[in-house]
Amino acid sequence: MKPLILIIEDDAQIRRFLRAALAAEGYRLQEAITAEEGLAQATARQPDLILLDLGLPDRDGLEIIQQVREWGKIPILVLSARGREQDKIAALDLGADDYVAKPFAVGELLARIRAALRRSSTRADGVGSVVRFGTVEVDLEKRVVRVDAQEVHLTPNEYKLLQVLIQHAGKVLTQRQLLNEVWGPQHTEQAQYLRVYIAQLRRKLERNPARPKYLQTEPGVGYRLVTEE
Amino acid sequence: MLLRDTLAPTNLAMIYLGGVVAVAMRCSRWISVTASFVSVAAFDFFCVPPYLTLAVSDYQYVFTFAGMLVVALVISTQTARLRDHATHSTVREARTEALYRLSSRLAGETRVFEAARAAASLAEEVFGARIVIFLPEDGRLSFSRRTSDLLPVPPSEESIAQWVFENGHRAGLRTDVHSNATALYLPLRGAREIFGVLAVLPDPAGRIFAPEQQQLLEVFGSQTALAIERIMSQRSAEETRVHMRTEQMRSSLLSAMSHDLRTPLASITGAASTLRWQGDRLLLETKQELLESISDEAERLNRLVGNLLDMTRFESGGVELRRDLYPLEEIVGTVLQRMEPQLEGRAVLTDLAENLPLVFVDDVLMGQLLSNLLENAAKYTPLGSPLEIGAFEESGTVILEVRDRGPGVPPGDEERIFEKFYRGQSEKMAGKVRGAGLGLPICRAIAQAHRGTIQALPRPGGGTIFRVSLPIRSK
Repeated sequence: MKPLILIIEDDAQIRRFLRAALAAEGYRLQEAITAEEGLAQATARQPDLILLDLGLPDRDGLEIIQQVREWGKIPILVLSARGREQDKIAALDLGADDYVAKPFAVGELLARIRAALRRSSTRADGVGSVVRFGTVEVDLEKRVVRVDAQEVHLTPNEYKLLQVLIQHAGKVLTQRQLLNEVWGPQHTEQAQYLRVYIAQLRRKLERNPARPKYLQTEPGVGYRLVTEE
Repeated sequence: MLLRDTLAPTNLAMIYLGGVVAVAMRCSRWISVTASFVSVAAFDFFCVPPYLTLAVSDYQYVFTFAGMLVVALVISTQTARLRDHATHSTVREARTEALYRLSSRLAGETRVFEAARAAASLAEEVFGARIVIFLPEDGRLSFSRRTSDLLPVPPSEESIAQWVFENGHRAGLRTDVHSNATALYLPLRGAREIFGVLAVLPDPAGRIFAPEQQQLLEVFGSQTALAIERIMSQRSAEETRVHMRTEQMRSSLLSAMSHDLRTPLASITGAASTLRWQGDRLLLETKQELLESISDEAERLNRLVGNLLDMTRFESGGVELRRDLYPLEEIVGTVLQRMEPQLEGRAVLTDLAENLPLVFVDDVLMGQLLSNLLENAAKYTPLGSPLEIGAFEESGTVILEVRDRGPGVPPGDEERIFEKFYRGQSEKMAGKVRGAGLGLPICRAIAQAHRGTIQALPRPGGGTIFRVSLPIRSK
């Protein structure tokens, strides 16, 4: 059966085109206009993914993320307004999986939905022991990284950072999340370490570090490892 | 009595005169005049036979008394006058000094409240009393807008202060109006209106009620009022200037808006309605074209609205920089990534110096600056001409450059292209206006917010260099 997507969005026109676009892809849909209704349906129907608008009339969309995360791991994709980086970070830190900034093109939205659904279905089996993207090959078991079949030496912190990014490949990770996972919870304010390490990883893995293909920056939010062409 | 036997009576008279001089030096004129009479009487009583009576046996003494009295009176009045004169000039001097300090303290003030506060604290010092100035809020005098944190007068007296503010007469303690109040309230009267009320809580001795102190207080009040008046008129002149500029901006904004927003809207409406009403009669290819134009134009509209919003936010001071240390490389990379579709078919060369220091910037805004520059370059240079992004360090600054091989900025326009709604001459002549003229002004606003600069320079060999200089954060 095709995945069920719950759309929580108060604007009728946006719901209309989301409905058209998602139905055309074969997804089953459920719609809610308010946060209250959205939460009720999320609990009752257990959708495979939630598309959530942060600006809802009755309650802050962030509350929905918080409440859903209390009981489940349903992927949540946030629709946010342009330029509200703080909202995006707050949503991601609360456990949202990704965001798309309005206005967005449908192609981008569908790609994000597919990636989120894939991540949630493969989460159980974990990541394979060898991960490849472009010319990069990472053997997670032997802890070996190769670029163009040449072994590349990474420092322990660089490797750990890459490992975390691979675990969440395709998903945007906030600076706080990355710092927390790599350096521990007491270092979450030292974002410039992270940037320096990302720059070093880019120099080692990317063909042109000034135009990275894999280690992408989400300005004002964090980083995303892109493993697909 | 002993002296009476050793000294001649005339010399004894001298001692009494000495006493008169001593009294006159210290006491007021009336006391010293009285002393003159008393000394003559005492001389008669003690030193002229018959002793211990005021009777005089030798009428020669009557002349002595008269002479003595005249001399005593002259001495006492002259001494008193001299002393008065000296005190007066000390008072005048103190007064001049106080007023001088007041005017020099008020001269530099550009804010009403600060001026009032400076005046009140100086007045407390000069008069040795508690003094607070109340200023009006929305046309009413209010105790909440006051120069001191403490409210030394009871809140119930706000109505007295309000009365003073409205009527321009003093009231309160030792006046005809509300004389049982705890404080004296004086209006701060300027040339045209009343700017506030000065309340005085007198010292226990009540020295401030001395006539010369009251006079000085009046002058203090009017000096303060005049200073406030000057500040307010300066401000209203500034407001008028700003208002005129805003009006000017608004009209050019409106004309730009009506054109730039309507054009893409017109194509979207046109294309969408064509598809809706004639969709079944159109070639598949035509449909595709119309759909493409809808999304392109919507994207253009989105950028335009974004620019307008950004500019408005910058101008209203609503932009808060979220600065941190970033490698410039990362910002450049992100922008190029995002702009790939717009830069299609262009060679974009990156030429970033090795070992650039981290820059202390807001990454989102800096990315926007760079993408605006690239967008601008893509718009004003021939399709297919190469672009270059360069960065290097130069004497304490990091320089970021976007270089193109376009027609260059016409001489004389190097500054104006950073002004809002300004469009290059070539664009006007070609009759195609493609932006709202906000891209570069936003770049400048962002550069300035980072305490940096941006300039357009001619590029050797043809084209333009847009150069952004950012100060390196000194640790």
